[in-house]
Amino acid sequence: MQRKRFSPWPYLLIAPALIVIFAVVFFPVLNAIGMSLQSYDLRRPSQIRFTGLANYAAAMRDPLFWQALLKTVMWVGVGVGMQFVFGFMLALLLNRKFLGRGIVRSISLIPWVTPGVLIGLMWRWIFDGNYGVLNDLLLRLGLIHDKIPFLAQQSTAFPSVILTIIWQGIPFFALMLLAGLQGIPEELYDAANVDGANAVQRFFLVTVPSLKNTIFVTTLLRIIWVANSVDVIFNLTEGGPAYSTQTLSVYVFNKGNTLNLGYASTMAILLALALALVAVPYLKTLFKAQEEAK
Amino acid sequence: MKRTLAFVLVAVLSMTALVAVSAQQKPVTIVHWYWADNPSYSAQMQKIAADFNATNGKGITVVAQEYPWDGGAYSETLFRAVMGGGGPDTSSFKLTSTPLFTANNLLVNLDEFLAKWKDKDKIDSSLYDTMRKASGTKSVYVMPWNTQILYVYYRPSLFKKAGVSVPKTYAEFLEACKKLTMDTNGDGKTDVYGFGMRGAKGGQEPWGSFIWARGGNFDNLTTPQAIQGMQDFIDLYKNGYAPPTAPMDGFQEIIANFKSGKTAMTIHHIGSSIGMVDTFGDDVAAFAFPGGVGRWTSMGDTENVILKSSKNREAAFEWLAYLATGKGQEAWCVATGNVPVSKDVQQLPFFQNNRFMKVSIEGAPYAGIFPILDTTTEWISTIWPNTVAAALTGKISAAEAMKQLQVGLWGK
Repeated sequence: MQRKRFSPWPYLLIAPALIVIFAVVFFPVLNAIGMSLQSYDLRRPSQIRFTGLANYAAAMRDPLFWQALLKTVMWVGVGVGMQFVFGFMLALLLNRKFLGRGIVRSISLIPWVTPGVLIGLMWRWIFDGNYGVLNDLLLRLGLIHDKIPFLAQQSTAFPSVILTIIWQGIPFFALMLLAGLQGIPEELYDAANVDGANAVQRFFLVTVPSLKNTIFVTTLLRIIWVANSVDVIFNLTEGGPAYSTQTLSVYVFNKGNTLNLGYASTMAILLALALALVAVPYLKTLFKAQEEAK
Repeated sequence: MKRTLAFVLVAVLSMTALVAVSAQQKPVTIVHWYWADNPSYSAQMQKIAADFNATNGKGITVVAQEYPWDGGAYSETLFRAVMGGGGPDTSSFKLTSTPLFTANNLLVNLDEFLAKWKDKDKIDSSLYDTMRKASGTKSVYVMPWNTQILYVYYRPSLFKKAGVSVPKTYAEFLEACKKLTMDTNGDGKTDVYGFGMRGAKGGQEPWGSFIWARGGNFDNLTTPQAIQGMQDFIDLYKNGYAPPTAPMDGFQEIIANFKSGKTAMTIHHIGSSIGMVDTFGDDVAAFAFPGGVGRWTSMGDTENVILKSSKNREAAFEWLAYLATGKGQEAWCVATGNVPVSKDVQQLPFFQNNRFMKVSIEGAPYAGIFPILDTTTEWISTIWPNTVAAALTGKISAAEAMKQLQVGLWGK
């Protein structure tokens, strides 16, 4: 039996990538874990010391943490859910042949390519209770009689920020699902037609199963991105009024901004764990489905 | 021999002088950070830096870099930059940030510079005392620059229309808010709100006047007097005397609402006066926030600091001195309308004849600042706006809000 000769080349070749990943991902993560175990508040540098799980216990007792976690679930659930539904509808529309399809496809990408900060500022003016175009439109249509301070009252602020994130994310789903739709062999639809399937049956029995992997991956990616997103909410409301739009990532950002890095790190880690709870079963299901398909 | 000695002596002295001159004129660059409320102030700061560069005669070049005030987040931006090993040599600064910066040993102690500074006495000694108090030490770490005292802007034409005269007491002020809330076109909807309330970040400053007017103070926010002040604030909103957007209205919004005629009164400092006059001409005036049981208005302050990371501290102090008592002081305060700290500049006709400056000076005796604690920045940026928004929208009562604010500021 011939022994394989050890070659350092593969290791050397992947070393640069590993070093970069360690520097920009693993080191900050380890650092965050370390800070979460300390009273790491830069406003009180002389009091920084190891405190074990005290920050985690404090988070469990913090009503704002639980409120932010609930908001995050709603933010992700409704936001990503609606993005998916409307994105799918748009993808189906763009998959049809019609005059000017190329232009419509390009225009539909605008929300996705617009920076989050700009989206936040733009929608802040759209929702403005005094000069906003949305109020003006609703008044002219006779749908409201008085202007609504969308971002200044708790009942409308959170739906407003969710509407904004839905608007932003629709093109991503549309684009990815459109690519998937174009990869479905026409023969499958022909066979379904021969079997007498109607449009709804073709959709649920041919289109959706064919896009299963795309749907899994895109939804997972959006769940992670939306859960971690700060820019849109921060530029719209900064988490207010009365913390009504403060998701966990915004809470982390606000705490980090006030230099309580220990507590901010703790909540960031808890958010990562919560996302892992969603992502791991999700990926397991995906891989299992792929194995079964082989 | 004597001639040789004399020659050597002259040569050594000449060389020393040459070295001194060359050292003095060795070009030095100072990076200065500042914020500006509008493009015109921004241009003014660039001009001041250019003038200083052209006239200092010591080879100092100031590079003025602007960063957004962002409702107070400027201080945190500066802190992060300096903690990360970057940041400027000098920066504009707010007194409330002093504990954070001194606790992390980021500021240069100015005592030695001040001791040998010929213009030291041009600034009132009480200001140095305030700077010492803020640092929690016996040293001065921040260089006074200018102050802004909050007062009430109002529209005389709207006062006339509503039949209201300038309030002299707190009760009259509350009554004026009510009367100035008007339906001007008879469609049953409010077109003008009496008071342009600031509920977002920065709103704690005008809010403080309500607390003190009822006899409260910041040492204990849970007294019945302080709670009553909060209740007044809530009532203005609940009764519709402030725009419905007030819980999220910040600086830009209250100024826009006042300038568009949506509000009849709003509270800000002299820094807005030039823009107000540009918009309304003579149809804008000001009065000091009236007293009730107590009286207080916020004294906004802006200082400058030298960061510990600066390698050119002498040059940095030259620049700060120019801003405090030199031409930079006059140019900035004339352009922005801020109250100068230099006694000489205060005496200039521009300041003596300015109607808004008079109101600022009238408010000076009862002007103050919020307690400077290590909790203050978080209290201002997050706790106050969210707690007050909850109170304004009826989620919590005035007493509950004040309890939360007390815990947020004082920890108990």
